Amino acid sequence: MAEIIFSSWGGEVVDNRTKESQDFEPVNTVDLPEYFRQDEAVKALMGWYGLVVRDPETDVVDLSRVYIQEVQSKSCGKCFLCRIGTKVMAETLERICNGQGKPEDLGVLKRLAESIRESSKCNIGQSGPLPILDALEHFAADFESVINAKKSVTAGNYHSKLTAPCMDACPIHLDIPNYVECIKEGRFADSLDIIREKLPLPGIVGRVCVRPCEEHCRRMNIDAPISIKFLKRFVADYELSKGKEPKFVIAPSAKTGKVAIVGAGPSGATCAFHLTKMGHKVTVYERFDEPGGMAAMGIPDYRLPRSILREEVDRIERMGAQFDYESIVGKDVKLSQLEADNDAVFIAIGAHLGTTMGVEGEEENYDGYISGVQYLLDINQGRDPYPEGKKVAVIGGGNVAIDCVRCSFRIEKDDVHLIYRRTKNEMPADAVEIHDAEEEKVNFNYLTHPVKILAENGKVVGLRCVKMELGEPDESGRRRPVPVEGSEFVIDCDIVVPAIGQTMDLSLLEGREDVKTTRWKTIVVDELTKQSDQPKIFSGGDCETGPGALITACAGGRTAAFSIDKMINGESLDYTEDDHFQKFFSKVKVFDQAEDLGLLGGRERKELEMLDPDTRKFTNDEVEQGFSVNDAMAEADRCLRCYRVATIKV
Amino acid sequence: MVTLTIDGKEVTVPQGTTILEAARSVDIKIPTLCYHDRMSPIGSCRMCVVEIEGFAHPMAACTTPVEDGIEVATISDRLTRIRQDSLKLILVNHPLDCPVCDKGGECLLQDLTYEFGIDQVEYSAAKVDRDSQYASPLIRYWPDRCIMCLRCVTACQEIKGIGAISVKGDGYGAQVVTVDADKCQSCGECLQVCPTGALTEDLSRYKGRTWLIERVPTTCTYCGCGCQLELNVQAGRVMAVTAQDGVGVNQGSLCVKGRFGYEFINSDERLTTPLIKKNGKFEEASWDEALTLVADKFSAIKAEHGPGAIGGLTSARCSNEENYLFQKFMRAAVGTNNVDHCARL
Ligand SMILES: Cc1cc2nc3c(=O)[nH]c(=O)nc-3n(C[C@H](O)[C@H](O)[C@H](O)COP(=O)(O)OP(=O)(O)OC[C@H]3O[C@@H](n4cnc5c(N)ncnc54)[C@H](O)[C@@H]3O)c2cc1C
Ligand code: SF4
Ligand code: SF4
Ligand code: SF4
Ligand code: SF4
Ligand code: SF4
Ligand code: FES
Repeated sequence: MAEIIFSSWGGEVVDNRTKESQDFEPVNTVDLPEYFRQDEAVKALMGWYGLVVRDPETDVVDLSRVYIQEVQSKSCGKCFLCRIGTKVMAETLERICNGQGKPEDLGVLKRLAESIRESSKCNIGQSGPLPILDALEHFAADFESVINAKKSVTAGNYHSKLTAPCMDACPIHLDIPNYVECIKEGRFADSLDIIREKLPLPGIVGRVCVRPCEEHCRRMNIDAPISIKFLKRFVADYELSKGKEPKFVIAPSAKTGKVAIVGAGPSGATCAFHLTKMGHKVTVYERFDEPGGMAAMGIPDYRLPRSILREEVDRIERMGAQFDYESIVGKDVKLSQLEADNDAVFIAIGAHLGTTMGVEGEEENYDGYISGVQYLLDINQGRDPYPEGKKVAVIGGGNVAIDCVRCSFRIEKDDVHLIYRRTKNEMPADAVEIHDAEEEKVNFNYLTHPVKILAENGKVVGLRCVKMELGEPDESGRRRPVPVEGSEFVIDCDIVVPAIGQTMDLSLLEGREDVKTTRWKTIVVDELTKQSDQPKIFSGGDCETGPGALITACAGGRTAAFSIDKMINGESLDYTEDDHFQKFFSKVKVFDQAEDLGLLGGRERKELEMLDPDTRKFTNDEVEQGFSVNDAMAEADRCLRCYRVATIKV
Repeated sequence: MVTLTIDGKEVTVPQGTTILEAARSVDIKIPTLCYHDRMSPIGSCRMCVVEIEGFAHPMAACTTPVEDGIEVATISDRLTRIRQDSLKLILVNHPLDCPVCDKGGECLLQDLTYEFGIDQVEYSAAKVDRDSQYASPLIRYWPDRCIMCLRCVTACQEIKGIGAISVKGDGYGAQVVTVDADKCQSCGECLQVCPTGALTEDLSRYKGRTWLIERVPTTCTYCGCGCQLELNVQAGRVMAVTAQDGVGVNQGSLCVKGRFGYEFINSDERLTTPLIKKNGKFEEASWDEALTLVADKFSAIKAEHGPGAIGGLTSARCSNEENYLFQKFMRAAVGTNNVDHCARL
């Protein structure tokens, strides 16, 4: 592997240029991939944290020119120094590379780079000139020799990309800084348009997203992340409250075709939206009599009101997609039939089967033993899953388990236990959800593991458990819980709900062994195109990734829509530049939690009003109340607009 | 309350105050260009950058809320360099229009260029052609003079709640553009807040030098709101109407009528004496003549048909006192309750 000869990434300068290769110092601040695409080796990188050079032949002067041009083209023009200063820098470097540089140009570049960096409003200007300063400092001789030679340099090959930490972390890569800025400026409709470029379900995702973006929000380094999720909800709710119908422009592709989508969950709905927008004729086959998948049948109404969900999916139907409810693919219509009748099929059937715990008594099918997904499905369809039962024990530590316990109150079962084998710290459920469940007075049994379901006359009467303690860390890095001998005890309950995971019901693939699946029963597709081994069959969402999150499912649906469109138009599904950058940024991290921003923080994150826990727990009313206009604008004003540019020399 | 020091001076202000407001409260002047009292801070000019002890980055004083215990410096070599660079960059392609610019003499850019002693600019960039179309025909946009401070855009969105103009384009090519001309109410809010001569009133070009104009404060006569405005008077003629920020119920805002509807004052068609129709033609008459005629006719109508046959409409463009007197006259002198008022008369 070719070694890195220079790096200033993250402020740590490693200069191996004059060293023998055995004396090379390692670069710890960045993991620069060797290849951008198969036939393109990464020779150098210029970006927000500095300059990295692998190939000694790299012309840093030319790289600087291309990079700063990219920064200038991404400048929004809303503050003076970045808007004009990077233009002056770009033209100066262009001149230098044309052999018309003057010695005083270097002073101008340095002075401007410093002023822009120190005073610009957002990160484009703040981080943009940084690597140029590094280049001017460490490659001064290169600049001087180009200026003295008075000859133009040969332009190299480059790839450039704009990103932001939040945007990169978002599975569907929403343009977060942009939609947040619109809210700050009071342009709510523009904000929604930006979101809807990619995501047709802002009201849903704005309520229940697991918000990976907020975990990578750079504002966290100085106080607390931006409330990205609830800002999205705000603009969706605002539009709804004004009774406005969004206008979706249908822009048909050169060639349009027919596509069948299996499953009207978030993934299927998003795919239908994009395909319809591109003019394709879409039919969505859905088992239930309503859309939403797990967002309707799993996620309870007090977190996501059904009216919001239906409205957002109905809009896709009003755009022209056809929804065929209560029609099961594999039973009512065969997959092969769909494949024959359509140009492509997108399978997004989710993960709807509960997994078992491997506990004694589980196979007996006692009355009162109900899997988590079934339990929630019944409640969401307005049924009490087991009216006779009153005391509930839910096993698991994820969001599904929390939904099961909190839902129990809402069907008037108020003796509710949650059983989890590790401690609160290791719990995968969202901290906010755990907090809300605590407020509603769920009995949390941490470090507890079920061993046997107790029953009388075929009905559950209790759950025998054992206490656990945390032992050595396992491969996931979490400390493995081990049973404490002689600590067994019985929880008095008549309903036992295992909520430890879901798996896929792949019966629609019967007789279709040519569509590959994994041993975890997920459907095998290309990670970046969502195409399976069978060219006409695509898949995304939970049935591709395993039980996951809404936004990931939506992202899968969107990607598949674009792949299908390409296929119908006879274009190749090779990875695009964006796809390669996605891979690149999984190595060269866009977010660094240790970055010292050097900015004054201390601005409080706005929180939502909540219904009172003692009364809300027995109703299905939405617990979280949205932002007011003022709060939304104040929250959006906290955003640092962390856009940043990377230029790669190949 | 939060206590901080600015240039060594201790300041105590309520939480949420910006550094700029805190500094102003103790008479420390921080240069500003895009900041405007009536709008949320915009943060485009970066003239107001200050240093905060312990933080590497200078911060814009207008957009940064105070924190307890921070030590702020408003003057340093670095800050002066940044402020000068900000101005120099603006001047890279700013036209040398001052002699023919309506804003000359009260232009913030001119003032700051002077204050910072910018006598040469070592930076250069190719000029780009910009579109000079604007949302309202009453306002002329001079794109080359526009510094992109975005006061206009913010005013239209925030003060007026309209959003007829916005920023389009990237980087150096970014420009203030009309996004929805139909929405524009020609209120001139943008014109009012523009710190430079990039927006000028277009009823007439070359308005007269600002230093020769006398500004006469008065109340707008168009409706009952009572907006305060200033007639810009030169040589006995009203050349333009402006408003003073923060003054009166309107705080500096006006509507299209108040701001642009002043040409009637010097109109040739304006009636200056009463007219009486004689033999089918209007003829000039004296006030005494006219009033006597009206009084006679009213008396005759009243005698023949009773006072109920007479009604009176008065106007929002009159003062309270005049309106009071009018209804008193109708009730006491004419003897009728048929008196009304219309905001549009
Ligand atoms: C209780 C619970 C709570 C959750 N909470 C959150 C949360 O807060 N935030 C979050 O981001 N994610 C959450 N998730 C996960 C999220 O709901 C899923 O990741 C997401 O719904 C997956 O979308 P999908 O479109 O892939 O599948 P699904 O939503 O499962 O949709 C699949 C659809 O396909 C239909 N279908 C299946 N088989 C067939 C067939 N053969 N023919 C026709 N139709 C078929 C199903 O009826 C269903 O409507 C939660 C999940 C559960 C179970
Ligand atoms: S991108 Fe950021 S730094 Fe550049 S002009 Fe816009 S706000 Fe200023
Ligand atoms: S501060 Fe704004 S732009 Fe920066 S990471 Fe957070 S949301 Fe994204
Ligand atoms: S805007 Fe100001 S600086 Fe520019 S030409 Fe007019 S008066 Fe001169
Ligand atoms: S005249 Fe009024 S409505 Fe029109 S752009 Fe200016 S501020 Fe907006
Ligand atoms: S027109 Fe005036 S107010 Fe608007 S951005 Fe340009 S200089 Fe600023
Ligand atoms: S006055 Fe603060 S940035 Fe312009």
